[in-house]
Amino acid sequence: MPRTASPKNIVSAAVESAGIYLVALLLAAGCAMASPDFLTPESFLRILSAVSLLGIVAAGMAFVTYSGNMADLSIPSIIAFSGIVTVAALPLGLPLALVCGTLAGLAVGAMNGLVVGVLQANPILWTLSVAFFMEGFMRFAWSNNQLYPDTALGTPGASFIHIFRLTIAGIPLIVLVMLGLFVAGHFLMTRTRFGRESQLLGSCRAAALTSGIRVPKVVFCNFLLAAFAASIAGVFLTSMNKLGVFYLGQGYDFKAVTAVVLGGVMLSGGRGHLPGVFGGVLVIGLLTDLMQHLGVTAFRQNIVTGIVFIAAVGWQQYRLRAQGKDYA
Amino acid sequence: MESINLALSMQGVSKRFPGMLAVDNVDLDLHAGEVHAIMGENGAGKSTLMKIITGSFSDYTGVVKMGGRPVALHSPAAAKEYGIGMVYQELSLAPPISIAENLLAGRLPAGRLGLLDRKAMAREARHCLSEVGLDVDPFKTVEELSQHEAQLVEIAKVLGNRPCILIMDEPTSALSQDEVQRLFSMIRHLKNRGLAIVYISHHLPEVFEIADKVTVMRDGRKIATKEIHELTPRSLVQMMVGQDIDEFYRHREAKSGWLVLQVNNLTRLGFFHDVSFELHSGEILGIAGLSGSGRTELARSLCGLDPVDAGQVFLENAPLKPANYPDTLQRGLVYLTEDRKQEGLFLRLSVRRNVIASIFPLLTRFGIYRPEKETAVVRRWSETLGIAAASPDVGAGTLSGGNQQKVLLGKCLATNPEVLILDEPSRGVDVGAKRKIHEAVMALADSGAAVLLISSDLPELAGLSSRALILRNGRLLGILEKAELSEESLLLAANGHWEPSHA
Ligand SMILES: Nc1ncnc2c1ncn2[C@@H]1O[C@H](COP(=O)(O)OP(=O)(O)OP(=O)(O)O)[C@@H](O)[C@H]1O
Ligand SMILES: [Mg+2]
Repeated sequence: MPRTASPKNIVSAAVESAGIYLVALLLAAGCAMASPDFLTPESFLRILSAVSLLGIVAAGMAFVTYSGNMADLSIPSIIAFSGIVTVAALPLGLPLALVCGTLAGLAVGAMNGLVVGVLQANPILWTLSVAFFMEGFMRFAWSNNQLYPDTALGTPGASFIHIFRLTIAGIPLIVLVMLGLFVAGHFLMTRTRFGRESQLLGSCRAAALTSGIRVPKVVFCNFLLAAFAASIAGVFLTSMNKLGVFYLGQGYDFKAVTAVVLGGVMLSGGRGHLPGVFGGVLVIGLLTDLMQHLGVTAFRQNIVTGIVFIAAVGWQQYRLRAQGKDYA
Repeated sequence: MESINLALSMQGVSKRFPGMLAVDNVDLDLHAGEVHAIMGENGAGKSTLMKIITGSFSDYTGVVKMGGRPVALHSPAAAKEYGIGMVYQELSLAPPISIAENLLAGRLPAGRLGLLDRKAMAREARHCLSEVGLDVDPFKTVEELSQHEAQLVEIAKVLGNRPCILIMDEPTSALSQDEVQRLFSMIRHLKNRGLAIVYISHHLPEVFEIADKVTVMRDGRKIATKEIHELTPRSLVQMMVGQDIDEFYRHREAKSGWLVLQVNNLTRLGFFHDVSFELHSGEILGIAGLSGSGRTELARSLCGLDPVDAGQVFLENAPLKPANYPDTLQRGLVYLTEDRKQEGLFLRLSVRRNVIASIFPLLTRFGIYRPEKETAVVRRWSETLGIAAASPDVGAGTLSGGNQQKVLLGKCLATNPEVLILDEPSRGVDVGAKRKIHEAVMALADSGAAVLLISSDLPELAGLSSRALILRNGRLLGILEKAELSEESLLLAANGHWEPSHA
């Protein structure tokens, strides 16, 4: 039988993953036209730091989606919770406070992982109720108050709010952290047993079970990773706002899923990669920047983000159908 | 000269998939009142050819004529309109939904206000079911049915659209022998009513029993169409494979070594009760029983995919943790599932990823994946089992049914198991491939592994097994020794007509 790997397929695969970067380039060109001083290293760094928080969250969220659990909607509450706990623990000194904050976020992630992985709860419903519960819990525990760190000179609080503003060799720390997370995440996803098993799980849960994969453990680790990334984002976001409060992470759930889907990670799981997600993050950042240049107000920007999400999901489904790959 | 009862005629039909021509310039005539068998090796293009006339592809080339006029079959709806119905290789019913709703999907009788008219539903559903001779409550869900009943419901669903051409793609691969007989009497009935029936199967005896004509395909091309009485099984196989194969079923001498697996009083309430047996190295132990006798459930509980209520399993004298398949697999006991589509393969992933799915512990060090050995493993099993795929990187879902089965077996064999439980290992594979699979299983047993074989294919079971357990209604009735093993004894035993030879 004539069987040849057609070069057309290879090219189209390359175009598909480069596609999101093409969109980013187009948007950058749009920005450059809207504001002439766009094409400078400064504004490139500005955009990167503007998307860093989203990027960090999306890098973690991508694991949840990739492993077939769709999305972790408790991300905003993890962001807020890790921030509040960090601020509350500042009297213990900055390093310990950061550890407490991260552990607080990880605790929520571990709970998600256990409930979804072992008890097989629906990930969307479960994380949605966790988000609801955590908001109530934080309002109750801190009596609805915002929590301000003591920022007098020389206190841990002063160093804490400095974290967000820290630069290394002129590059903001948060940008480096985001890039580091993407690199480490990419390695984890493609080169480790955990990453490969996540892909199998995301492709077909029943087949993963009959292949002897420890499904609960893999699910657990994926939720833990998402929570870890969200906790880091929570520390930075709280440092930026100089206060910890229950609503701090609002909107990051949806934006992160949008970036993940834009980046080519299928909502049905098992397909996509982190470089694509990084492209998705860039596109959202550039889109926001462009809309700001054009004077689009914040809530209208939400409308656009919503439309982008719907379009991206629709496009993915269309591509899958066209290739006849929709075996779901 | 066109005969008067010509139902459909294909002329120069072709269908191309990326990188390959799956159906290559085929001419085929289907006549009313005739059972037309289509045979050929795995991947020969049988399913694809039939999917063309059921409107699954909009981009085939060539002409399809019905009643002398060309028809365009570019969508399933169009094919339905022309009276072409197909029972697919894999069932398409929705398990959690009632039989009636499955049967009448798309034409549910609604009363005023759009409410479902349950009485009319029951009436119509019963009518459909009576045509296939099935008498069950139409409001039962499909889940509650046996494989055989589900198969009949599937046929009833297709018949509900009043087809004049009925296509069946490997309809018997999940049926036991008397279920097959019941299906055949129904096919004969439909044939006498004037339907044109297409019957795809790898099973030679069935084809000789039911078919009037046989068309053989190879590599996408039609080799020939013959009247059944012009053929012998041997000449038919020769046409399919292109060479002479003298012996279809292998026979293996009974061998056995040390005790590997010991099953003590295993019970899962409602499925099987108090089952005990021993498995030795180098042995192939068959399980004879009808579908529904608890064979699959026993195997799944044994390996830890399903829970057990009582009893214990010892592997190499150490107990297995219950309901922990990952652990069992690490210790060398592997299960090949009977349901390759739902839970066997990762259809969306490549053949390569599928074959290595169970051996990550071997391919990783300190959690880091080391791909060096991967290619060798994949090549080894592709060659041993003869997996026909353009490359290891094509999606497993694009392979033909039989080749998917080989990938599934490759995934299990790659773990180098000490105990292998095979549940219908040669379902849907052609004669040549069946031989390859049998050889691979025998080689595994010869190298000292123990095999537990569940199969509805009696010659396979009789030929390979050293002994066979007889399971009926979830209870172990006894063991057939090699000397007593034959197709007939297995059939009798599975149906409960079995007397222990030594009292
Ligand atoms: N969706 C698809 N995309 C790409 N190739 C496909 C697709 N479906 C089938 N093929 C290829 O077409 C060829 C014919 O497949 P087909 O399913 O018709 O074989 P078959 O004769 O029914 O085999 P079997 O007996 O194993 O069921 C195979 O080589 C298969 O890999
Ligand atoms: Mg087929």
